[in-house]
Amino acid sequence: MSQRPQPRITDDNRPHWEGAREGRLVLPYCEACARFFYPISPFCPFCLKAPVAWKPVSGRGRVSSWVVFHKAFYPYFADRLPYVVVQVELEEGPRVNGNLFGLDPGSIRLGLPVEATFEREGAEVTLPQFRARAAP
Amino acid sequence: MGWEFRNKAAVCGIGLGPVAKDTGLGNTALIGAAVREALADCGLAKAKLDGLFVNAGVDVDRLAENLGLACRYANQAWTHGRLSGPIVQSAALACVAGLADYIACIYSIDISERGGGFGGGRSHAHEEGREGGGPHGEMPHYGLTHPGSGAAMAMRKYMARYGATAEQLGMVAVTQRAHAALNPAAMMKAPMTLADYLAARPVIEPLRLFDFCVVNDGAICVIVTTAERARDLRKPPVHIAGMQGLRAGREEFVFGRPGLGVWQQTEREDLPQVHPVFAMAGVERKDVDGLMIYDSFSPQVIFGLEEFGYVGPGEAAAWIASGNGRLDGRLPVNTHGGHLSEGMLAGWGHQLEAVRQLRGEAGARQIPDAEVIQYLMGTGVSIIYTR
Repeated sequence: MSQRPQPRITDDNRPHWEGAREGRLVLPYCEACARFFYPISPFCPFCLKAPVAWKPVSGRGRVSSWVVFHKAFYPYFADRLPYVVVQVELEEGPRVNGNLFGLDPGSIRLGLPVEATFEREGAEVTLPQFRARAAP
Repeated sequence: MGWEFRNKAAVCGIGLGPVAKDTGLGNTALIGAAVREALADCGLAKAKLDGLFVNAGVDVDRLAENLGLACRYANQAWTHGRLSGPIVQSAALACVAGLADYIACIYSIDISERGGGFGGGRSHAHEEGREGGGPHGEMPHYGLTHPGSGAAMAMRKYMARYGATAEQLGMVAVTQRAHAALNPAAMMKAPMTLADYLAARPVIEPLRLFDFCVVNDGAICVIVTTAERARDLRKPPVHIAGMQGLRAGREEFVFGRPGLGVWQQTEREDLPQVHPVFAMAGVERKDVDGLMIYDSFSPQVIFGLEEFGYVGPGEAAAWIASGNGRLDGRLPVNTHGGHLSEGMLAGWGHQLEAVRQLRGEAGARQIPDAEVIQYLMGTGVSIIYTR
């Protein structure tokens, strides 16, 4: 079994991964700007304040783009083809990424309602992922 | 006062080293071939080269030793194609400022030796896992591993928003393949129809096989000097009339239009933005005889056309599909075949083709009476070359 490429967990993003281990999607939040931001950074991209706060988000959002992989660039993904990677616009604003599970790739549409789910990868790593949800 | 720079610098010599899937040569040997050709092209003595700017392949210090140069201007850029335009720009500025007389700009790739191609294996895995994430938005733990995945994500959103079709996108690759058939140096010269394109396997949907550039070894040398010095050499100067830099920021993505990418958070509809390259060069879009658009992935051609205002938002796919970018069309695009069919040379092949077109050296694919050629990327970098 080849191993999944591992995320690089550092001091800058550790709360994100610790949150995922506990089943929560946790993103950087700037107290001064009162807003979430993404991609993850050790300081706020708007006011440069550091350190950043970390807060859980709802995990609910809508697909803002997606791709379907038919080629495994790493051996790990060979058994998982085809697989979907989405960009999701969360209710709180940020657009984040993950795999989308449980849907035929042909049925994905822009604006599809999704919610976070968590894929345990080992003792250290749990990946935030997405699955379809019923629209409110 | 950018216009004061207009036509002060020029490309005086170009050299293309071996280009092939596997040349059997290392970077230094590939570069040596390109430098020899560039010197012979313009009749410049090696001893006159006093500047060296390396984009990729080897360290500038080692290369200066190998080439036996005495450089007073040595520089090095990150090994990525989006910096090819900025390197030519910096070399032009350095020559005009008197920091060097003749600067050899170097690109080389020996990917057959490094192995693994792009998106996995050993060659680029270290990049994808770099602090802050990969240079093209890679997230290998999600299988978002290849530079093309960002182009695919940008194109998907574009198609969903504007209704662009696979058939329209396919005409980018088909058009450029037809051009490559007229380019003896191109790697992919076999005729390709739209049906061939559509029949090829999907790789990262919505992109199919022929939406991806060729992966190959190769090297290029571009010699930049002042327009005044260039006039004394064998070939007519190709002037750098105007230029503008590569943009970077939260909404900029190397293979997209602003807002279209992997990590981009908002989308802009107010295209095109101001492009000072035209005023600096003293030309308008209608004066441009051909476009060289950076195209590691075919959507970049569509995004580049829209970003620079040649068409409106959402119109480029249909514009290409209608044949406007063909050699016999309204505004020929990538007459050498581009990365998609000539070979992946990180934008340097585009600079060479601009020079060939303006010298009248493009053979069967010559744009008649070409006087103005623009190099551009959807993420803002551009050079307008004139005779």
